[in-house]
Amino acid sequence: MTSFDAKYDMYPAGDVGVVEGEMNIPNQGVPSGNSMEFNTLDEPIKETFMRDLRAVGSKFFHVLIPREKTSLLKEWDLWGPLLLCTFMATILQGSSDTANTKIGDGGPEFAEVFVLVWIGAGIVTLNSKLLGGNMSFFQSVCVLGYCLLPVALSLVICRIILFATQNTFLFFLRFVISMTGFMWATLAATKFLGDSQPEGKKGLAVYPICLFYFILSWLVLSHNAA
Amino acid sequence: MSYVNTGDLLNFQDYSPEHNRTARIDVEAVHTNQYNSGNSNFNYEEPKIVTEDEEPAPKSGNHNFWTIEYYQKYFDVHTNEVVERIISSVLPQKVSRNYFDERIKGKPDLYGPIWISVTLIFTIAVSGNIASYLQNANKEIHWRYDFHLTPESPTMMSLFCLYGYSLSIYIPVAILWTIQVSWLQWLLVLLGAFVSGAVLIFWLLPALRKSKYFLVLIASILAFHFLLAAGFMLYFFHVPDNVTTVLTTSTTAKAIVNSA
Repeated sequence: MTSFDAKYDMYPAGDVGVVEGEMNIPNQGVPSGNSMEFNTLDEPIKETFMRDLRAVGSKFFHVLIPREKTSLLKEWDLWGPLLLCTFMATILQGSSDTANTKIGDGGPEFAEVFVLVWIGAGIVTLNSKLLGGNMSFFQSVCVLGYCLLPVALSLVICRIILFATQNTFLFFLRFVISMTGFMWATLAATKFLGDSQPEGKKGLAVYPICLFYFILSWLVLSHNAA
Repeated sequence: MSYVNTGDLLNFQDYSPEHNRTARIDVEAVHTNQYNSGNSNFNYEEPKIVTEDEEPAPKSGNHNFWTIEYYQKYFDVHTNEVVERIISSVLPQKVSRNYFDERIKGKPDLYGPIWISVTLIFTIAVSGNIASYLQNANKEIHWRYDFHLTPESPTMMSLFCLYGYSLSIYIPVAILWTIQVSWLQWLLVLLGAFVSGAVLIFWLLPALRKSKYFLVLIASILAFHFLLAAGFMLYFFHVPDNVTTVLTTSTTAKAIVNSA
């Protein structure tokens, strides 16, 4: 008779214990903990802003030279992807001015690029989760978003090239540049995400990543200045 | 003894003398029964997951259809399997006659069909753009996602898987459709429809033989595939003949006349 009562009593007691434990952690102030152990309430907003900006910048650097994985995978954020995605969508958007030309320049809308990037990253992540990858959803979205950097850089270079008068050689140059961005992005993303897949399924996880960056590189290549 | 509910419980479960010995056993039995009934519902829908995670089963028992784990069994393929299925869908003579029964029926996957159709959609979009670039016409290409997956039964799923793989021939075909030669485009339509239809028929031949409408089924499969391929080509890649004759020079005009 007592055992059954004790069962019901144990659960609230256990819950209270967990709450107490969490509240005690900041008071203990573990000295060997990670770098998030400082008080940000009374610092100038400029410092907070700069610190986040530096974190984003260092992640960009890690994408360009993909050697160590911890910074991107462990402390994920979506600021970099948001910046890159907004930037690319702003440049890639075509003019919907249908007064002068018949159909406009046929470029994508801002929202189309934006949705393509985020939904695409979501679908690629979902695919790797379905294949049995062992990483969290936002970790993967973060890596895919940050690895857009080479594609965005190729977009900048292509945009500069577009200021000149176009000929076949310049088109070929843009082709090479956008394909380099595509390869670079794919290699970086594969390097970060490849290990999370079980053996024998790596190819299946990498193929959608390739497709994702290829579509975006295609948009970069087919972008024509109005 | 001191339980308030004991009387109620005993009234409900008064069917055998063994259960009435002590109230505690009955209370526990009722509670375990509740959990078991929850589990048995869960078992009925998806027996695989129960063996994997028994702890969160009562929590996610009702929503297991919406969990990722439910769908993971459809993605349990390896790279070489997918490659083999794609190759055998393009070259059906390389595989054994009962390929569908042996390989795909027991283990249908969604990876191939989904990514082949996504690849096909984007290949058509990209190649369609190249085609319109080559036509010097500034056409705007619309594309949209269209895959609604309703997994109703295993047979349905394996058929869907099979059908998705049979579409893979259209990916190289869509790239070749950019070549603006009319008779070549129609040749590719015939080729694509024939290969994908032949793969379906070849794999399903043992099942189709049992049907009364054997020939009708085969003819309708081929006809629908031809319609699909022709629809792809006409909508995305083809320019009407009167426009082409204006745009192109005399080199291709002959071919257009031939095809028309």
